[in-house]
Amino acid sequence: MAATATGIHHRSYSSELRLRATRAEYVRLGLLTLLLLLLPFILDNYWLSQANLILIAVIGAVGLNILVGYTGQISLGQGGFLAVGAYSSAILSDRMGLPTPIAILLAVLLTAAVGTFFGLPGLRLKGLYLAIATLASQMIIEFVIRRWDWLTLGQGYLNIDRLDVFGFQIGGRAVFEQQWYWILLVLASLSVITARNLFRTGLGRSFMAVRDQDIAAEAIGVNIPRAKLMAFAISSGFVGLAGALTAHYSEVLSWEKFTLDVSILYLAMIIVGGLGSIAGAVYGAIFMTLLPELIRQLSLGLGDSVPFIADQLPAVRNAVFGLVIILFLILEPRGLDRIWHRIKDYFGFWPFRY
Amino acid sequence: MSARNRTLAVAMAAASALALSACGGGGGGGGADSDEPIPIGMIADLTGATGDVGTPYNEGMLAYVDWRNEEGGIDGRQIEALSNDYAYEVPKAEQLYKQYINDGVVAVQGWGTGDTEALSASVGKDELPFMSGSFAEPLTDPEEAPYNFIIAPTYSDQMRIALNWIEEDSGGGGEVAVFHHDSPFGEAPVGDGQTWIDEEGLDLGYESYAMPSGSQNYVGLLSQAKDQGAKYVVIQNVASPAALVAKDIAAQNLDMKIVCLNWCGNELFIDSAGDKAAEGHILIQPFAPLSAEKEGHAPIKEYAEANNIDTADIGAAWVQGWYAMDIMAQGIEEAMASGDELTGASIREALETMGAIDTGGVVGDGTVEFSADSHRGSTATGIYEAQDGAMVEIDPDASL
Repeated sequence: MAATATGIHHRSYSSELRLRATRAEYVRLGLLTLLLLLLPFILDNYWLSQANLILIAVIGAVGLNILVGYTGQISLGQGGFLAVGAYSSAILSDRMGLPTPIAILLAVLLTAAVGTFFGLPGLRLKGLYLAIATLASQMIIEFVIRRWDWLTLGQGYLNIDRLDVFGFQIGGRAVFEQQWYWILLVLASLSVITARNLFRTGLGRSFMAVRDQDIAAEAIGVNIPRAKLMAFAISSGFVGLAGALTAHYSEVLSWEKFTLDVSILYLAMIIVGGLGSIAGAVYGAIFMTLLPELIRQLSLGLGDSVPFIADQLPAVRNAVFGLVIILFLILEPRGLDRIWHRIKDYFGFWPFRY
Repeated sequence: MSARNRTLAVAMAAASALALSACGGGGGGGGADSDEPIPIGMIADLTGATGDVGTPYNEGMLAYVDWRNEEGGIDGRQIEALSNDYAYEVPKAEQLYKQYINDGVVAVQGWGTGDTEALSASVGKDELPFMSGSFAEPLTDPEEAPYNFIIAPTYSDQMRIALNWIEEDSGGGGEVAVFHHDSPFGEAPVGDGQTWIDEEGLDLGYESYAMPSGSQNYVGLLSQAKDQGAKYVVIQNVASPAALVAKDIAAQNLDMKIVCLNWCGNELFIDSAGDKAAEGHILIQPFAPLSAEKEGHAPIKEYAEANNIDTADIGAAWVQGWYAMDIMAQGIEEAMASGDELTGASIREALETMGAIDTGGVVGDGTVEFSADSHRGSTATGIYEAQDGAMVEIDPDASL
């Protein structure tokens, strides 16, 4: 446990259950909130678009971490579930005329249902076998969105109207990113808060019990099938929300946005960020979304002295992507979240080492 | 403050800021002050699945910009080309597009069908003229894609011309196997080909086969095509995989003739397959290669000579890039001549109203013309045959 949490004396149950207990934690939260509120006034539209991608990735990564990090299940079907959320929300809002918030809500529920269905093998399978079963879900969903003409009315891609929520429509390119930022910030914040609180409920704790020792969990009365399926449902719900937001934000859908690469990217996010940590999912989403861009900026800077990097940028990106995962698995398997805790501990204990 | 109140406070702050930002201005201009360079974004495939032709296409565009700037630019203003590799991945293309918007470009040169289609709605809303290496037919409809311009006959038109040629060559009763890239690009003309056969009552059999990417050979697909009885293999793919098919046909000693559409109808196909394996195959190529000796090749040759580039290294894909930039530059020039502010909207209007753009016989039947009702720049294409390692013109401007 972090140094800042030691020596705290709780006098009530509500005090003990609080998410934050120390003044330092409140100061950090205040600074973070201030930064998030100032960001649109600091960043230009391009970097704001990166922030928007991060906020969507945060929702998806938090969802995946609920399943993988907290429940110990594995999923290679993230890309497919994102697609279910994206296509269902787009079709419900644009083609069937439902108000967008309702379409997004229904897309979340539908993705949760699809996720639960594809989670059924999880009742019998574990580890690598379950990974392959979820890989099948990715392949099946990808096949459907590629080949089922009805989804795109034979076009192969799906255009989506600019977001219109009860009369408020997102504006032109000068304000597009800024307006989306506020929407995504609210939804990403709510997702993070919801997930944090989930693990303070009995259901959330049953997820962790399944992860840590399912036989013991069953012995103390945890309904294992229910816990596993609920984990798939809740996780997929989050992912469905991320998919729906991807659709309305990018305003066009094609199957190429939901390939196995996306599933692997999200897994990388939670590995690098920290399995079993909501904050880790956030750190991972930020890091893995910004990594390609940072490499690109680096290649621009080194373009003259090391032209190889600029010439082979996509290959360099992929190599760095793999290298980062390997390094994290070797040097800090608990990810960025653990590194952050260690930094806090260093300052908390200073001048002592422990 | 309780957790609930904190959440509420954050949500309120965000909602207020949202309302404030909603009061902001509308879409940005994108034009630049006079004398400043004209920024144009380029989304290029240099290292991705279609990099074999994507690279020379991009080189051709950059060469044109270089040449034009040396000639004094467009009405005294230099062209600033922002070119980046997206490796044929749609999300990376979207990311680059966002960056170009932020950089204030007035037009964009894209590449693939998947990314051009994915961006078509955005470029429409952002009012940015968009040309690309994709000639998918839906992009010609201003209702569907108001800012996309197709500078050559569509893949579907090329397929129709190919089927007409096969009907004539076979004397009727030919079997056609369509080998296509397994992507929106590859699939673009497949359905339209079948519709054309039905509509025109052509006496042709027709089956399509997706080409698995990364295959080391296509013997399996050719075996299926042989079972179909195919004597003609229409290929909608880039040069390298098409060359593999040609090698496999030669190795298997099959009696099949390849009809390559656009991105494999070039010298790269012949060079990769080898003169012997490529011999006799047909190439549908709307952009005349240098060997066709058109008037419009003069500036290219002049540029090559001035920059010590061997013209033998300049293939059809390179010429395509050059002329894609030339047509866009002529639209920009016309927009500037009209006296309006240089914006995406004014460039679009100029392209739609300026009449025929003369390409000196290089593109289609020599001219490219758009209108407010159609962004289909041309419907004619050259047909070539691979003979002794070269593209030999057998019909300079075949059309429907």
